[in-house]
Amino acid sequence: MRLTDANFDEEVLHSKIPVLVDFWASWCIPSQMMKPIIDNLSKEYEGKVKVGKINVDQNPKTRNRYNINGCPTVIVFNRGKEVIRKIGAQSDDQLRMLLDSIDG
Amino acid sequence: MEQIKLHNSDLTCWNCPAIDLAGKVDFRACGQSTTELAKLSDDSETYIMAECHRRPELGLFDPMGITFEECPEWRRTPYGYMLKDMRVMILGIDGYLGWTLALWLGKLGCNVNGVDNFSRRDWLKERGAHTVVPISRMTERLSTAKEILDININFRQLDILDDRERLKEFIDEVKPEAVVHYGECPSAPYSMIDVEHAIGVQKNNVLGTLGVLFSMRNIVPETSLIKLGTMGEYGTPLTGRPLFEGMFPADAVLKWDNREWSLGGELTPRDPVSFYHVSKVQDTYNIVEACKYWWLRSYDVMQGVIYGVYTDQVSADPRLRTRLDIDEWFGTVINRFVAQAVIGLPLTLYGAGEQIRGFIALEDAMQCMARLIASPPEPGQYAVVNQMSGYYSLREVAETVAKIGRSEFNLPVKIQRLENPRVESERHPFEPIYENLPKRYGFKPRVTLEQEIYRMLELLTQPEIKKRMEEKRHHIVPKTWWSGEKRLVETIEILESGSQSTMEEEKSATYRR
Repeated sequence: MRLTDANFDEEVLHSKIPVLVDFWASWCIPSQMMKPIIDNLSKEYEGKVKVGKINVDQNPKTRNRYNINGCPTVIVFNRGKEVIRKIGAQSDDQLRMLLDSIDG
Repeated sequence: MEQIKLHNSDLTCWNCPAIDLAGKVDFRACGQSTTELAKLSDDSETYIMAECHRRPELGLFDPMGITFEECPEWRRTPYGYMLKDMRVMILGIDGYLGWTLALWLGKLGCNVNGVDNFSRRDWLKERGAHTVVPISRMTERLSTAKEILDININFRQLDILDDRERLKEFIDEVKPEAVVHYGECPSAPYSMIDVEHAIGVQKNNVLGTLGVLFSMRNIVPETSLIKLGTMGEYGTPLTGRPLFEGMFPADAVLKWDNREWSLGGELTPRDPVSFYHVSKVQDTYNIVEACKYWWLRSYDVMQGVIYGVYTDQVSADPRLRTRLDIDEWFGTVINRFVAQAVIGLPLTLYGAGEQIRGFIALEDAMQCMARLIASPPEPGQYAVVNQMSGYYSLREVAETVAKIGRSEFNLPVKIQRLENPRVESERHPFEPIYENLPKRYGFKPRVTLEQEIYRMLELLTQPEIKKRMEEKRHHIVPKTWWSGEKRLVETIEILESGSQSTMEEEKSATYRR
């Protein structure tokens, strides 16, 4: 799911299920390499965890609100609150462990 | 009726070179603070918006709002959606690949522009060699392209390194929407002749490309740079680890000290095998940095060993043919084998002859380039494709040339092993990953090894070309040693057909998977 400054509150903070947000940039090679994994997990965890991507250059408000200084940064939100943050590329296994650890 | 999706149907203006990005674009590296920017950027004017050169009536809009499929400026071609009259500039348009691509793109409806300083012609002359397929002068090439194929090519003679101002003027005049960079010296042995040649190749390649990056930043930062690299940048690591496409995938992990990290996005180690290959590795790093600092967009094309003579366009008229070199400096291996088969020289394997390489036929390489031109990277994106359609040991390739030469052309082909003048592994595992082109860009190889070898034999057995090969037969066996020595390499053995030992067969089977 494509997240933006405009839909972030509704889709992430007001979401009924936990949300994993991938803060990415087109110039960031690790971000690009994580894309297929994120897309795949978004299908696999559908209904349990929402998986969204937000481009940090196009959405500076959200980037600054969460003080994103590096890409990729992955943040898990649960009931409107940040619960986990990981900086730098994550492998499929690492992301799964993270997703499975969320207590929805 | 709903149309079948093309590989680039869903790309948006975010990827389009006709777009200027308006709003605040700040260039940052990962880990660089944004706190200062935060104060400045919390209002709508800082949002990145798109502004289209081709459709100014759209005003400012969301760069991800319109797809290629929806935009009337992008039209369907066999290689994906392509910008109407897309302006492409080919650096090195007089070369083996450059000329072939110019005609290929012209036929696709691109607006083709190109530069060359004719250094390839000069290097061959300097070595006393020549292209065995005769090629016309540029003026005749251009008029024939117009006469036979109705293609207009806008050509400028200049050196991308020494005539940088003129290159800038030309870029400014054309405003290319894609730049294909073939303007480098493509020879490992040429770079190993002596210090002058090593310096010459590295200067030409590395500094020439560095200048191109600055010119693009200043004039056309939204244009994609499709730059020719080589599979030889990776070398052949003896651990047998896969040769990924430039960077490690996010699932590759580094395990150490009971801890684990993703290697995702880190450039894989390079192990170049000549000073020429080193120049390509240096280019890779320069381009990565330019993409990072200035949001240039680039595909670094790690091309396998190229071979072949055929595309519909270059074969349309003898005056449109592309060059073909078979000498020790510029003759790539299959091209050289076919020439040897025709003029009755044993095909020359270096050392064990078990070296494995990725290969691609000329026509398939052109298809790949068209697909990449049609799918520009995102702002700042540096991406890599391993451009090859299969891999073989050199001995297998020699056997294939010998088989077709004997059975279809009645040539008495022999194969010989020579001393290896290079410093390289002769028996090694090889697991190249070459999934990006087929999976993301819809590439399907159309030419088999056998088919292209057949076409080459057909062309090279023509009397005029055979004569040109005979004239330069003394330039085929190498005299350039990586050690610096200057002497003709000696024959180790002449191989009988099918003489590969069982042990070697098993070994290559394990390596081939």
